[in-house]
Amino acid sequence: MKTALELIILLPFLGAIVNILLGRALPRRMVELTACAVVWGSFIAALSAAVSYSTPTVVYAGSWLSSFNLSAPFSLYIDPLSLSLCLMITFVCGLIHLYSIGYMADDPCYVRFFALLNLFVGAMLVLVLAENLPLLYLGWEGVGFCSYALIGFWYKEAKNATAGRKAFIVTRIGDVGLAIAIVWMFQHFGTLSITQLNQSGLQAPTEVVTAMGFLLLLGAMGKSAQAPLMVWLPDAMAGPTPVSAQIHAATMVTAGVYLLMRMFPLIGHSPDVAAAIAVTGAFTAFYGATCALVERDLKRILAFSTISQIGYMTLAVGCGAITAATFHLIVHAFFKALLFLAAGCVITAMHHEQDIFRMGGLRRTLPATFWPFLAGALCLAGIPPTGGFFSKDGILAAAWEQGGMLYSTLYAVGLITAFLTAIYSFRMMFIVFGDRLSSKEEHHPAVTNVPAIMTFMLIPLAILGLIGGLLNIPANLGNGLLDSFLAALNAEGSHLKSITELALQGTASLVALGGVFTAWLRYGGKRRQECISRAEQEPSPLVGFLRAGWYFDRLYRFLFIRPFEWLSAILWERVDEGVIDDNLDRMATLLGRTGQLLGGLGNGRVSAYLLSMAAGAALIIAWFAWVMP
Amino acid sequence: MEQILFYILATVIVIATILAITEKHPVHAIVYLVTSFFALAVVFYLLAAPLIAMFEMIIYAGAVMVLFMFVIMMLDLGGGGDAKRPSLAHCLPALVLAGVILASLGLLVTARSSAIPAASHMPDVREFSTTLFTKYGVAIEIISMQLLFAVVGALYLGRRRKP
Amino acid sequence: MIVPFTHLLVLASILFSLGLICVLVWRSNIIMLLIGIEIMLNAAMLLFVAGSNHWGMADGQVFALMIMAMTSAEVSLALAMVVYLHRRKRTVNVDEFSELKD
Repeated sequence: MKTALELIILLPFLGAIVNILLGRALPRRMVELTACAVVWGSFIAALSAAVSYSTPTVVYAGSWLSSFNLSAPFSLYIDPLSLSLCLMITFVCGLIHLYSIGYMADDPCYVRFFALLNLFVGAMLVLVLAENLPLLYLGWEGVGFCSYALIGFWYKEAKNATAGRKAFIVTRIGDVGLAIAIVWMFQHFGTLSITQLNQSGLQAPTEVVTAMGFLLLLGAMGKSAQAPLMVWLPDAMAGPTPVSAQIHAATMVTAGVYLLMRMFPLIGHSPDVAAAIAVTGAFTAFYGATCALVERDLKRILAFSTISQIGYMTLAVGCGAITAATFHLIVHAFFKALLFLAAGCVITAMHHEQDIFRMGGLRRTLPATFWPFLAGALCLAGIPPTGGFFSKDGILAAAWEQGGMLYSTLYAVGLITAFLTAIYSFRMMFIVFGDRLSSKEEHHPAVTNVPAIMTFMLIPLAILGLIGGLLNIPANLGNGLLDSFLAALNAEGSHLKSITELALQGTASLVALGGVFTAWLRYGGKRRQECISRAEQEPSPLVGFLRAGWYFDRLYRFLFIRPFEWLSAILWERVDEGVIDDNLDRMATLLGRTGQLLGGLGNGRVSAYLLSMAAGAALIIAWFAWVMP
Repeated sequence: MEQILFYILATVIVIATILAITEKHPVHAIVYLVTSFFALAVVFYLLAAPLIAMFEMIIYAGAVMVLFMFVIMMLDLGGGGDAKRPSLAHCLPALVLAGVILASLGLLVTARSSAIPAASHMPDVREFSTTLFTKYGVAIEIISMQLLFAVVGALYLGRRRKP
Repeated sequence: MIVPFTHLLVLASILFSLGLICVLVWRSNIIMLLIGIEIMLNAAMLLFVAGSNHWGMADGQVFALMIMAMTSAEVSLALAMVVYLHRRKRTVNVDEFSELKD
């Protein structure tokens, strides 16, 4: 058990180190093989850990930070939550690594790419398996760094480097919240161990727990791109597509949700925090869905849908439904990785064209991509009986179950969002893959071949996305596998009556199907062409508003960046150059002049030296004679 | 008797030294200085240090001063017409400083040393030798090495270089 | 003790000051400068001998001897250097030798 756990974490790091140190000396195939082999090795280790798993265990692997009563060893915690996440991460990342071989086939910087990808997986696994908060924070920051380096992977273009920096800086705001929360928890509870913290929730006053919960929520907002810190995620599409897939599906953005789930036994003691989490999630879900409705860039649509889906998970955490959140997290990882990888195939085939209005007719030319993409879209839209339907239904049911004014509103918002989700996912389907009726077809570049390894990777993900629902089928249709596995985490379980649940499921499926139908009405068949020609015109104010992401970027520019630039200009021109530099310059001039003056004394004339020496001696003797009686 | 002799000698020392330092001709200055050192040697004798008096006469008045004379004559600095007495402007700071030092020393000497009792016992040559070679044996060795170094250094500086 | 200790000290002070004046004034002749140093050293020797006489200890005389030995070493080196410098520059003016400044 211990070996398996250590191997899970160490293997990706080993791969990263080997590739960093020896990558240039090894042949290309070896680098790719190493990168993929370590992740799959990690998956096998996770699998063996899962097989031998019986009860939640803490494994001590070595000491790390230890002084006085602060101790943060390298100890790993294995429980159903971390175990299921580990399996998901290593599996999805393994597929993404294999896919990357095809995607990066022409890139000369493949060594750096694979090393960073391995490091990314390693950091995420540290985050997931960490037993104490400093270790979690280590993984957290490692993930942040790797995302920065990978988003800005093609750093020679200023736009990409800026996107990397933006991701880094915006998530940093959340990290500050998390860091403060960690220190505060240590100050208040005297321990940093997650297991102990989760048991000590009742020892603290509710206000303190509320404040800590808000700080953790801030951290999760930054990492998981929740409102209002979601602005970095659409820009993060500047990175290579496998990176986007890995960030969105398996590693980075789920970290925030994972943190909230992990710490929920503690922060769940405060109803305010739970409500805040739920509201944040619902709002973000709605925001992402509306933005995705009008977006033209294929990858940015997926990015907004990620924001929206993560919002669902956050909503589930806020409703206390850890199982539902985990379920959705895992299923989402499958179908979002699938969608991203399929989008990568499309983009490769279209010569790095990402505007969906310039695509079309790909159903015929790219059948191997079309069918998995369709599966992904079905999952995303929540059409029964895909995995996406069940997981989303679980979340909505949890919100319904909470009852009350607030949660009923949130349920409604979630339902509307589900409707919007169905619309935008099938808008994407219809526009990208729908038949082209225009006669201008010959203007479009021919579709190139996609490496077989890329399309092949879509198949297992598509299957898992479609049948992912079997992991946790609702109570009225049988017993959920995940539900019983994670039973320890939420003791409440499902109290809904079978008939209510059935009604909820019916509503959800009706809403999803209605969304698909609406999408067909607007974008299906012949109406696709009208839509494209309409897009060439000036967008209406509402569309412009949504397309600019509700002008959040502009708001932040106005609220934070402008004043910051203004302050920087003042500090630079007035304070730094005007006061500090000027004073230093003057001091230097003064010292130089004094030095020249004093240097004039050293004129090399022995008589002058003798005279001054005698004068000094006279001074000393006179001091003894008169001043010191 | 000895007291009168001392004061006469002291006067001789001071006057000869003043003449020596004001003389612009180095050879004459050396002669005055030899006079002064002879008088000083007698003072040493009066102070019950006959050995030091002998050394003063032999080494100082004899060897060192003769060395000076030798160098002056070798470099032909003796009758130089260019040798001129320093101007008053040059002298003034020196005189002021020396005046300050002298006044301070005088003040210190007169104010602080009145109460010191004199010893009745006078060290003789035997005691001097014992002290020199037992208590300060190491110092003697060091001094002799220093003399050796001085010889080597002087030889090095004075050797004839190839043009 | 033939005369009061104070008188000896005053004599030594006068001698020292005269030596100092000589050193400070004769900047045009390095030989005179060295003579000034000799006068000052003699003043110090007088002080040592007087002290030895006053306290009845031989140590003062020993140090007078040390000074003498040291002086002879110093003079031999200094005069050798004077000869060397005179050979180079044909002058004994102290202020001419200021190359070390650069």
